[in-house]
Amino acid sequence: MPNALKTLIFATVLCVVCSLLLTAASTGLQSFQQKNAEVDRQKNILLAFGIITDGQPVTSIQIQELYRNKVKSLVVDESGRFVPQDQRSPKDLPLYVYVEHDQLQAYVVPIDSRGLWGKIHGYLAIENDGATIRGFTVYKHQETPGLGGEIESRWFRKNFKGKKIVNSGGDFVSINIAKGSAEGAVAADRQINYVDGISGATMTGKFLTEGMKQVLKEYEPVAIQFRHKNNRYLRSE
Amino acid sequence: MSKLTKSPTFKAISEALWQSNPISKQILGICSALAVTVQLKTALVMGLALTFVVAFSNLFISLLRRQIPRNIRIIVEVAVIATLVILADEFLRAFMYDISKQLSVFVGLIITNCIVMGRAETFAMGNPPWRSFVDGAANGIGYASILCGVAFFRELLGSGKLFGIQVIPDGFYAAGYHDMGLMLLAPGAFITIGLFVWLEHTLLKDK
Repeated sequence: MPNALKTLIFATVLCVVCSLLLTAASTGLQSFQQKNAEVDRQKNILLAFGIITDGQPVTSIQIQELYRNKVKSLVVDESGRFVPQDQRSPKDLPLYVYVEHDQLQAYVVPIDSRGLWGKIHGYLAIENDGATIRGFTVYKHQETPGLGGEIESRWFRKNFKGKKIVNSGGDFVSINIAKGSAEGAVAADRQINYVDGISGATMTGKFLTEGMKQVLKEYEPVAIQFRHKNNRYLRSE
Repeated sequence: MSKLTKSPTFKAISEALWQSNPISKQILGICSALAVTVQLKTALVMGLALTFVVAFSNLFISLLRRQIPRNIRIIVEVAVIATLVILADEFLRAFMYDISKQLSVFVGLIITNCIVMGRAETFAMGNPPWRSFVDGAANGIGYASILCGVAFFRELLGSGKLFGIQVIPDGFYAAGYHDMGLMLLAPGAFITIGLFVWLEHTLLKDK
């Protein structure tokens, strides 16, 4: 019996000591981690806009400065109208716009999609014509590294550039991830709405396609306004 | 000098670094060696993280070795290792965010790395704290040295860079030189590690 008791006491003490250490580390380092995550989020918005490019070495100070100077964070309501700061409601949608030379160049919608193992968070930048994709980034996901995790790789993301979220008739169709290569999977006239899929990650592609469709549908009123006249958001400020 | 080379601590170090190097001799920790060796920077950080974990897990387990009840010793070892790994992971996420993102799950997977568990079970449970600490550090460095060696060739041949800095001059590319795409993929790592294993075995046999 004393032996069993000794084991029990040892295990309890060890667990308490370990958990205290981990709690201390996690609380102590939290502010640093949150700051890093915020800079990373801003970096991904800049990447989606193409203000910075992949592999280009930038410091966190440069990122924050670029973000401050070139990106504006707005909120729009369901019908796509700009909402001033004091009238915001929880149903409103966040939107980021890139302004250069007094011209609205592009806007970013936050992608918040289901994945195979967890949420996929990213940004999709669309040109000021409201139809052409300018860039796509993923900053947080839980997909399998090497398979679904490839969604954050450069080759996959760069496929999005130049693709359209509307068909040749100008109707909304969203952007789809093909199973395998887009060329083999869909007819030539629809390829503009498809990007190459990742082999070994069909499910991730499916969920992401579905997630992006939902988000883009919500933002469709915004896109329609951009298709009609692209300077509206600048003037309403 | 002969006294130094015969001391058990010295023996532990030279074994870990050379005669029974965890990767090239014991063929342990291959999974992470394949995954994080595309670039030197990630390989180095991974090597340091593992060195930290093995060294300190060996130290703590050795300090506790007379108190740890035999029947739950494996779970105690795992608890100590897991705590250290999470500490390392949190630290990387706070101060080396980009690298920690690239290493993704592999820092967390140090918990399951057989090198750490193996040293705790076979060495730290039966040796005094200081020697265990040194043994852990030497094993970590042995692991890191192979990782950096593999990463050196993979980054140099695969993308013409070292630590992210272009070292193959543009003139080479203009003259028709191409980066070796294979080196960026897992098979490239397998081949490179295989060559390292071959080299070590050949050198040891000659002795």
